[in-house]
Amino acid sequence: MSDDHLVIAGMGAGYGDVSVLHDISFAVPRGKIVAVVGVNGAGKTTLLSAVAGLIVPTRGTVTLDGADITRTAAHRRTGLGLAMVPEGGRLFPFMSVRENLELGAYAPASRSGLVERMSEVMDMFPILRDRQDQLAGRLSGGERQMCAVARALMSRPQLLLLDEPSVGLSPLMTEKVLATVTDLAAREGLSVIIVEQRVTEVLAMADIGHILDHGRIVRSGLAADLRKDRQVQETYMGL
Amino acid sequence: MSNPDTSFRAPPDTPVAMPRVRSFVGELPLLAFVLAACAGLIVFFTGNSFAQNLLATTFLFAALSTSWNIIGGLGGQFSLGHSVFFAFGAYIAARMHLDLGLSPWLALLPAALVAAAFAMLVSWPVFRLRGPFFAIATMAMTEVVLALAMYFSSITGGAQGLSIPFKAGLHNMIFRDRMSYAILMLCFLAVTLIVMAAVTRSRLGYQLRAVHDNEDTAEAAGIDVLRTKLVGMGISAALTAMGGVFFLMYVRVVDPPSLFSLFDIGVKIALIALIGGIGTIYGPLLGALLVVPLEGMLRAELGGMMPGSNLIVLGFILVLTAMYLRKGIAGTGTDLFARIRGGR
Repeated sequence: MSDDHLVIAGMGAGYGDVSVLHDISFAVPRGKIVAVVGVNGAGKTTLLSAVAGLIVPTRGTVTLDGADITRTAAHRRTGLGLAMVPEGGRLFPFMSVRENLELGAYAPASRSGLVERMSEVMDMFPILRDRQDQLAGRLSGGERQMCAVARALMSRPQLLLLDEPSVGLSPLMTEKVLATVTDLAAREGLSVIIVEQRVTEVLAMADIGHILDHGRIVRSGLAADLRKDRQVQETYMGL
Repeated sequence: MSNPDTSFRAPPDTPVAMPRVRSFVGELPLLAFVLAACAGLIVFFTGNSFAQNLLATTFLFAALSTSWNIIGGLGGQFSLGHSVFFAFGAYIAARMHLDLGLSPWLALLPAALVAAAFAMLVSWPVFRLRGPFFAIATMAMTEVVLALAMYFSSITGGAQGLSIPFKAGLHNMIFRDRMSYAILMLCFLAVTLIVMAAVTRSRLGYQLRAVHDNEDTAEAAGIDVLRTKLVGMGISAALTAMGGVFFLMYVRVVDPPSLFSLFDIGVKIALIALIGGIGTIYGPLLGALLVVPLEGMLRAELGGMMPGSNLIVLGFILVLTAMYLRKGIAGTGTDLFARIRGGR
């Protein structure tokens, strides 16, 4: 059996008549961090939305653990072990931090052991234990992002989708968030797809990298190799 | 590999709170106090037919607005088409009473079920729309059903409407005095408040609030957004239809233009919730206590000299609410209370 956790094959996606992604194919090996990088408008968020089920691909397939989930509704994918952290965290601002975390475990498969999981997640993010009764809308940018990652972890996912976790954060805070994600992925055995504009930082944490340009993957390889690639450095890293 | 972030520190012994008990039992003392205060108003105005009439109307609109608040406030689906479900209730009760001689009490359940089923059926496609487009679609639904109601005059009585013969008695839900109607509407209000409190504290309530905040994030968190909205709409429509039954037996004459009135029913119950505090349990009641008596008194005092003055005042209150009470009376009051207590 292949050890690919997720396989995207020939996927196209868009909004109405506008086609954004064209013939996207790559695999996410189990327990690896896969970075998809590209400039604004390259189609990164559309890619994650299609994998999360928030939009339906116009062609191609998405396979999770060998099962075709191309047309599976987004809320059912959560029960299959897939969780998404949307761009900017997108917490429920008028709910407390604790309520936000509880909502992360609302898929039927995640509800049992909610209290234990809440405790585990708060151990991973001690600041959230301190802020558990505070409205999520009043968290700082970094705390908000941490809370969004924590909420995704509440459903005990095996595959985490991270949409530009650096948006709105200072370079220092971005570094902290990415370091936390790297540590969690190793500790929880998570597979991760992370899409980012900050190419240097995200290729440093990832195992595999893909460069997305105008909705197509134009370069793929080990993240370490891509970092050293002269063309990638000049085009995306400003070196 | 980087070490886990150590700057995110918290006191090490801070306990993790257990997930909140979602029983609405905790809401019962306040609910009992509020209903007792409303009952006190009825007692205070004993013998004053005009005031009892205003109270009956106020409690009815408070109940309708509370029903709307389940999907409109908690779920954030700004329906302006609830008059359709209201009319369903009135017509089902009228036909059962006139054709089969059945008590309107027996019409409450069928009215609620038919309205809920219809609401879920028509909402299925409409829920694909968001924000103002959803509101416009529900307005369009009202107009379509109004045209159908006028066309099928054998059921609705057409423009002439339907009249319920006066046969006083609890069995017929017809009373000689206005005070009995005020008590009846207060009981209906109690039912809607209990349902609202139960929904607010239930899993469905959390899901509706999440859908209200961000549909995509809610879906990604594992919430079946469409199902959540359909269930919320079904409960809301069922209660609204029950309100239609009570309204029918109160006025005993109904016609399509008055039942399907966009402003007098559809928009008004939404505005009352907005003024009182959208998404809160007691906001619609506070909104109704402000708007309905004021409107009624203005209509009585100035109706002859200045027709439409009630609308001017309602508009004025709405502008003031938008400017100074963005969260409505209840929401602003809760914020003030929290600030005084030094809460979050």
